[in-house]
Amino acid sequence: MIVNLLSRAMMMSTPLLFGSLSEVFSERTGVMVTAIEGIFLMGAWAGFTAAYITGSLALGILFAALAGLSVAILYAFIVVTLKQHQIVTGTAINILIIGLCSFLQRVVFGVPLSPLTVEPLKKIALPLLSKIPLIGTIFFNQNILTYSIYILVPLGFFILYKTSLGLVIRSTGENPEAVDVSGISVSKVRFMTVAASGIMCGIAGAFYSIGYLGMFTTNIIGGRGWIAFAICFLGNWNPIGAFIGTLIFGLAEAFAILMQSNSATMLPNELFIALPYILTIILTISRKSFNVPSKLGTAYIKEN
Amino acid sequence: MDTPFFELKNISKYFAKVIANKDVSLSVDKGEVLALLGENGAGKSTCMKILYGLYHADEGEIFKEGKRITIKSPKEAMRYKISMIQQHFSLVSAHTVTENIILGNVKGRINWIDEERKIQKLTDQYGFDVDARKKIKDLTVGEQQKVEILKALYLDANLLIMDEPTAVLTPQEIDTLMEFVKDYSRRGNAVIFITHKLKEVMNVASRIIVMRSGIIHGNVLKEKTNEVELSRMMIEHKIEELEKVKDNNYVKDVCLSVKGLTIKQKKGIPLLKNISFDIHKGEIFGIAGVSGNGQQELCMAICGALKQAEGSINLDDTDITNLSIKKRIELGMGYVPSDRHRYGMIMDMSLSENVLLKTSYSSEWKKNGLIDRKKLKDKTNQIIKKFNVKAPGHYSLARELSGGNQQKVIVGREVEFCGEFIIFDQPTRGLDLGAINNVHSAILKEKQNNKAIMLVSTELSEIFTLSDRVAIFYKGEIQGIFKTSELNSEKIGLLMAGYKHQEAI
Repeated sequence: MIVNLLSRAMMMSTPLLFGSLSEVFSERTGVMVTAIEGIFLMGAWAGFTAAYITGSLALGILFAALAGLSVAILYAFIVVTLKQHQIVTGTAINILIIGLCSFLQRVVFGVPLSPLTVEPLKKIALPLLSKIPLIGTIFFNQNILTYSIYILVPLGFFILYKTSLGLVIRSTGENPEAVDVSGISVSKVRFMTVAASGIMCGIAGAFYSIGYLGMFTTNIIGGRGWIAFAICFLGNWNPIGAFIGTLIFGLAEAFAILMQSNSATMLPNELFIALPYILTIILTISRKSFNVPSKLGTAYIKEN
Repeated sequence: MDTPFFELKNISKYFAKVIANKDVSLSVDKGEVLALLGENGAGKSTCMKILYGLYHADEGEIFKEGKRITIKSPKEAMRYKISMIQQHFSLVSAHTVTENIILGNVKGRINWIDEERKIQKLTDQYGFDVDARKKIKDLTVGEQQKVEILKALYLDANLLIMDEPTAVLTPQEIDTLMEFVKDYSRRGNAVIFITHKLKEVMNVASRIIVMRSGIIHGNVLKEKTNEVELSRMMIEHKIEELEKVKDNNYVKDVCLSVKGLTIKQKKGIPLLKNISFDIHKGEIFGIAGVSGNGQQELCMAICGALKQAEGSINLDDTDITNLSIKKRIELGMGYVPSDRHRYGMIMDMSLSENVLLKTSYSSEWKKNGLIDRKKLKDKTNQIIKKFNVKAPGHYSLARELSGGNQQKVIVGREVEFCGEFIIFDQPTRGLDLGAINNVHSAILKEKQNNKAIMLVSTELSEIFTLSDRVAIFYKGEIQGIFKTSELNSEKIGLLMAGYKHQEAI
């Protein structure tokens, strides 16, 4: 049972990692992607729809990435180019996407009598590695998206701390003026980072629809975008921190699912479903020293 | 005739309706230190920002070694080996020296060890004592400036523009900087030095260009001029001489008394350590020191914005240690903050609303439970008139006024509503000479009205002309309290740099 729980925890961590890692990068440039919940949802819908129509999960993921990208571009255009308020803009977009997805769902599929489903992403057991007792099942019998986080975390760390791109990203959130003076366009850095985050978050959304459930409902994301958003804070704007955070939340979610299917429990089901959300609040409060990018949430307006 | 290294020809620049530069032509040669002298707002910085690509000229041309060039951004300026040290540093304080220097100048994967070695080599070459691995926030302002200079050296700049580089330095740091400027220009590089301090100009420059209201008013070699002539070129209108105050011409009654004041940071390092002093009625008590040595905290603690860990503050026999800001204001405490945009005014509100701000709760303004608009209007107009504020009227928005006029309104408000004790924190920072004069007269007048005054300033001349006594701050401690007549600029410089009294003699 423990192995089952941990294996599921790894899986449930995957979209959270995609989301929080892209949030780490964006926030390091000073832009909170507050539209993250909406981007997740857009990705979930686009991924499901493309996969259902074409029958190809790969195309589903591709479309989810594109859908995420388009929402992110809209968001970036408003907050970076037009320099509007990030929280207000994000909230507006989130509401817009909920409506848009229910609308598009009706337009494309009408009102089906039975729920529409696709075959979710298959688990791929890696040869040899998956045969290792315990660890093999937990880490090496997962779907392709979960495997990709093994690469994304070290890659993210490497980019952020070992390359000039990372230096520019980190500097942009701390002191955009310094970046500007060294001849780099602050807007471009922010726009591109938010756009890349959109791709990642779109895929994260698709994970819920086609990577795991194999279906779409408009409440499929259920605040998990916000959890990814919170993990970025908890992980201190560091890819490794974000990874640890996603594991904790993945575990909480896996635990909730396990308890749900286990009816012989004393405690009410709803408590376990609420577990990740309660954990978010507790951890956010208990986190002591923050390493907040000093210009987080502030538009860069050049003098003159 | 030789072609100059860099040349500006007929540069003009307008901001909305205001002329910032008009028909400015100047040139600089290799190995030369050119001083750009002028009052605040004379257009020196604007002109140089055009050369550095931060602003774009509305008219005029730029030449390098006779060839016409266009500079659209700092990046392009760097391509022509021009570098500029801004008045406000653009450093990322959470990052290390190395990270700051290589920002935007490296590609791909960074070899940290290599870069650190390269930077350490540069620092050794010019005798800078800066650790490449230290974070900017752990450096002093002087060291941060060196990092800015290192950035320029890292890029092999041949023309270094420095905008008021000495404003934030101690006298000793200024000497080091001057040595660097001379050394750097001897190596065949050009330096343009923007300043309004005559002494520095005579010390470091080889040629001097004087600007006034956006126009060049003189171009002289250092050997052929003197300070008197330069100051005449700089200031058109004659400034009424301030009467030098005599020591000890105040009454002996203590007004404000601070005893053993200590303020601790979260980590436990004290920001202020055991500060004790008395200010008498009719006394101007100067607080000197390089900015960031606890002056700001002292002001905040006295006005009640910062909680102290230990010590007591008394105002006229009332223990105000634990009183709220509002109570302190009611007791007659005034505060002219150093950052008027942040603590002094609300820029999007009218002047009368800003005047009301300080004592908004007072029943004085109330009429039938509403604000007595007429009274407020009269009072504001009175302040405008009395303090010579250049504003259309009480209804003008604060942001529509120039910095000097904004400051006059704040000074007027504090002076009018506070009967006992007023803190002036950097009251003339960023003001032009006319406004400075205005503020100084206001301070002296309050002294005559027998108010106690605490004057915090990094401008030594201001401290010297106005104060009766001076306390020198260094790292949150008082280095000593002296009568102004006991001090000279060298002694105060050493005290500001952390040398104790005995060593300073």
